[in-house]
Amino acid sequence: MEEKTKVITKPKVEVILEEEERKRLKEMPLWRVRLYLTWREIRNNWRLFSENKIGLLGLGIIIFYAIMAIAHPILMKWVWDPNIYDPIVGYSYDEVLQPAPPSFRHILGTDPLGRDVLSQLMYSTRSEFALGILAAIITVTIGTTVGAVAAYFGGIIDTLLMRLADLIIMLPFVTILIVLSALFKMNLIILAIVIGILSGFGGTGIVIKSQALTIKVRAYIEAAKVSGGSNWHIIFRHIIPNLMPLSFLYMMFSVTSAIFSEAVLSFFGLLNIRMSWGLMIHTAQTAGYLLNPKTWWLIVPAGLSITLLCSAFYLVGRALDEIVNPRLRKR
Amino acid sequence: MLRYVLRRLGQIVITLFVFLTLVYFLLEAQPGDYAQTFLSNPKLTKEQREALKAQFGLDRPLWERYLRYMGSLLKGNLGISFEHYPRSVVSVIAERAPRTILLFLTAQILSFLLGFSAGKVLAWRRGQAFEYVLTIGGVTLYTVFTPWFGLMMIWIFAYILHLFPVGKFVTPTLWRGAPVDANYVFIRILLSAFVASLALFLVLLATRRLNLALRRGLRGAGVLIILAGLLAYWLPSGITRYALDILYHLILPVMTLTLINFAGMMLLTRNSMLETMREDFVMAARAKGLPDGVIRDKHVARNAMLPVITSFIFSIAFVLDGGVITETVFSWPGMGLTLLEAAVAQDIPMVMGGLVFTGTLALLGHLVADMTYAYLDPRIRYT
Amino acid sequence: MAESILKIENFTMHYMTKAGEVSAVDNVSLEIRKGESLGLVGESGCGKTSLAISIMKLLPENAVIKGGHIYFDGTDLVPLSEDEMRRFRWRRISMIFQAAMNSLNPVYRVSDQIIEAMETHFGNIDYSEAREKVANLFRLVGLDPKFMDQYPHEYSGGMRQRAVIAMALACEPDLIIADEPTTALDVIVQDNILRELKALQEKLGTTMIYISHDIAVIAEVSHRIGIMYAGKLVELADAEEIFHHPIHPYTAGLMSAFPSIIGPKRELVTIPGEPPDLLNPPSGCRFHPRCQYATEICREKEPEFKDYGSGHMASCWNPLEG
Repeated sequence: MEEKTKVITKPKVEVILEEEERKRLKEMPLWRVRLYLTWREIRNNWRLFSENKIGLLGLGIIIFYAIMAIAHPILMKWVWDPNIYDPIVGYSYDEVLQPAPPSFRHILGTDPLGRDVLSQLMYSTRSEFALGILAAIITVTIGTTVGAVAAYFGGIIDTLLMRLADLIIMLPFVTILIVLSALFKMNLIILAIVIGILSGFGGTGIVIKSQALTIKVRAYIEAAKVSGGSNWHIIFRHIIPNLMPLSFLYMMFSVTSAIFSEAVLSFFGLLNIRMSWGLMIHTAQTAGYLLNPKTWWLIVPAGLSITLLCSAFYLVGRALDEIVNPRLRKR
Repeated sequence: MLRYVLRRLGQIVITLFVFLTLVYFLLEAQPGDYAQTFLSNPKLTKEQREALKAQFGLDRPLWERYLRYMGSLLKGNLGISFEHYPRSVVSVIAERAPRTILLFLTAQILSFLLGFSAGKVLAWRRGQAFEYVLTIGGVTLYTVFTPWFGLMMIWIFAYILHLFPVGKFVTPTLWRGAPVDANYVFIRILLSAFVASLALFLVLLATRRLNLALRRGLRGAGVLIILAGLLAYWLPSGITRYALDILYHLILPVMTLTLINFAGMMLLTRNSMLETMREDFVMAARAKGLPDGVIRDKHVARNAMLPVITSFIFSIAFVLDGGVITETVFSWPGMGLTLLEAAVAQDIPMVMGGLVFTGTLALLGHLVADMTYAYLDPRIRYT
Repeated sequence: MAESILKIENFTMHYMTKAGEVSAVDNVSLEIRKGESLGLVGESGCGKTSLAISIMKLLPENAVIKGGHIYFDGTDLVPLSEDEMRRFRWRRISMIFQAAMNSLNPVYRVSDQIIEAMETHFGNIDYSEAREKVANLFRLVGLDPKFMDQYPHEYSGGMRQRAVIAMALACEPDLIIADEPTTALDVIVQDNILRELKALQEKLGTTMIYISHDIAVIAEVSHRIGIMYAGKLVELADAEEIFHHPIHPYTAGLMSAFPSIIGPKRELVTIPGEPPDLLNPPSGCRFHPRCQYATEICREKEPEFKDYGSGHMASCWNPLEG
């Protein structure tokens, strides 16, 4: 059976250049060829990705929150009165009791300090994205470099880096972040850096190293060595570009873990930030509304948002995983 | 086998040492001068202050304090907690650790068993719509914001349904005048669970090479004997109602922690099962005319378990994280809550102690999982 | 002439794939007598393995039996349920798999895997008795019984192959299907095992079906040989006969594609082209796009599978030797 399908099912994406295309490419300058090929690869990958309904769902959620993040400053400028709707210093004078339940004026109600919950929710989205993406970029930059270097040089460098990685992944990540953020007052940027360093030298580095090992033994690396390429030239021009798909995939998982960690830390009130989803729940908690189902709007929107955005990036990551690792593809 | 364990223990000690050194210097570098805060307590006299300073070694240079700390750590002394003064860090850990261990172990074992069985069944019965629901549900549980999920669980099961208590780990009114303290009961619960599972394992091992009928009979009898033994120990002891009270409080946090962790295990098992099902020996097992259930459990699942255990090893840290958060949400007074409180209060000796405990627990968890793996995969021998 | 044990009549089986329907086995009929050994030869993807797993009904989920019958000892296996089929598997028909190296479960001892098969079919057997039987089986296939309690990874390739053969013999089946039994082994071990298989078959009187892409291997061990191409049986005859007087051009091509140690030195000729895409099989004779003798009628009409005398069956419009 296995043998059978191999014979008859052709790969879905043909990467073979047609004769004509080849001619056309020859006339272009090199940078355009590169751009063209990259574009084509993206298009092909998109076709594979769009077959994955679950991945599309994740992407949909991300786009939804991205729109919220973009819409907030626009609403603040033209629609909402900053005195009332400002997520941090606004106060809703219309409501008699704070927190007020959802109404036409405040779709998600107000918090114990009389601030609009929807405005807070939308305002925080921006910083969640910023944190997630910054942490992911740092993670993947470190992880890719560590993985490529450890795989390429091997020996003592490899041993040291991998022991360190083992140490990091064995220890509870969030717990250590809790301790660190309780003792050092951290803001979002520092948090992103800390998360990036911990997971870049930790799990991400290990995964990328195992991929780099398979690239290291390919013929073109050997060819580059023979033609006198320096070690760093080979690492940056030949190994790392080939690790990019996997690195990009791990960015998705890094975003999930960064947003999650931030939410936990601000839920405990350990972060030095003005507003975030975790902090919204923390505010409800300090005001004593935490275990009160009647004031659900203080907790449910924020909690749900954290969960949804984390899941969304994770789902996209899983879908990309199926593209990057053909082994996981459905037959 | 023994050499393997010793070698791994050696590695663990070194890893722990490196970890603690890093943490020690990191905590030293933290900006707030906790000692000053503690020492500036106006109730203290000048002499007391000096004595305390000397006792904590605060008048010494950094490297000397570090060496001293490591030295006393070897002797099992972690210093004195600022927050719980004058109790020693070790005594606080001794009081709270059993609670965390019970929560952690129960959730970890349950989520493995549930996740593995669910993944196994799901891989066997496939369907498009079903699979979507499953993946989305699984990923949502896996990435759910833990504190929020814990709150939702409390809302639903404690407030609306009134099934379980809201938080804490005992009912104070019941324990008034109890003959023993909670920890006494905690440790007995842990011990009897350990003994029972060991006995179960031995029964399975001893009956492995017997005839079909005899094997089944003896295994059934073994389980009954173990159950009877447990009852014989607990019923006359007079502390059963206290144990039940603890277990009653345990259900909701364990349920929360299990739900969060089991989804990842389930998705992973399913993928691993689907990969194993393509192996040739599965086809061979079918050709041998084995019943479907036997093929699934004995051939596919048994092999699919290996990669699941590998990632189970990596999930230990994740579960510990979940545990810290869950303890806080449920006011479960274990090490997680203690660590958080200590961190907020800048009680550095207690924080160090908490990290020593968490690190040790994580590393021991690794050791056990590693050994299980080596036991389950004959291709890996203890080398 | 001994009575027939397996009789396949107009058997057709398709795989439903995303790209369309693949006709993997198309209208195949053949008969095997008790104690006989039959070889099935063809390129990879020609349907020989599909036919083999159809006999045991180990088909994947996307396989659909379109028609025909498989009579085993008088019972038609095609309509049987999975549960009923289980009683035939291994007890009556067993199999030596293509990837014998991987058909042992890595986490169990070899002895336990053989005993498992016996336990399934003979019920509550005594453990020490079963072990004694395993030891006998090991001796039978040329393995030292002291290795029986080791794990598969501790075996060499040849040992594993022998263990798999021992396992196939465990329930004393009437029919054994050997699917590429020696492909992964080096030539000397391959030769030894084939010789032993042949001796075993003669000693136990078991019926065998050998499947291979290598006609030379098959010729050594089979009484009769069937040639498959693109899901069809194109020629079937006694081993001697097919070697000396092939009728179908494909058979002739197969034979010149393999080197022969004995006989005169000759050039190896390969068959041009690739096996056809079974999603859209060629019209008429499926071999015509690659056949040097193809004529107009080959493109249009399918040749009949007919007897060319003394049981030499073939389907060709332009037979090589009338």
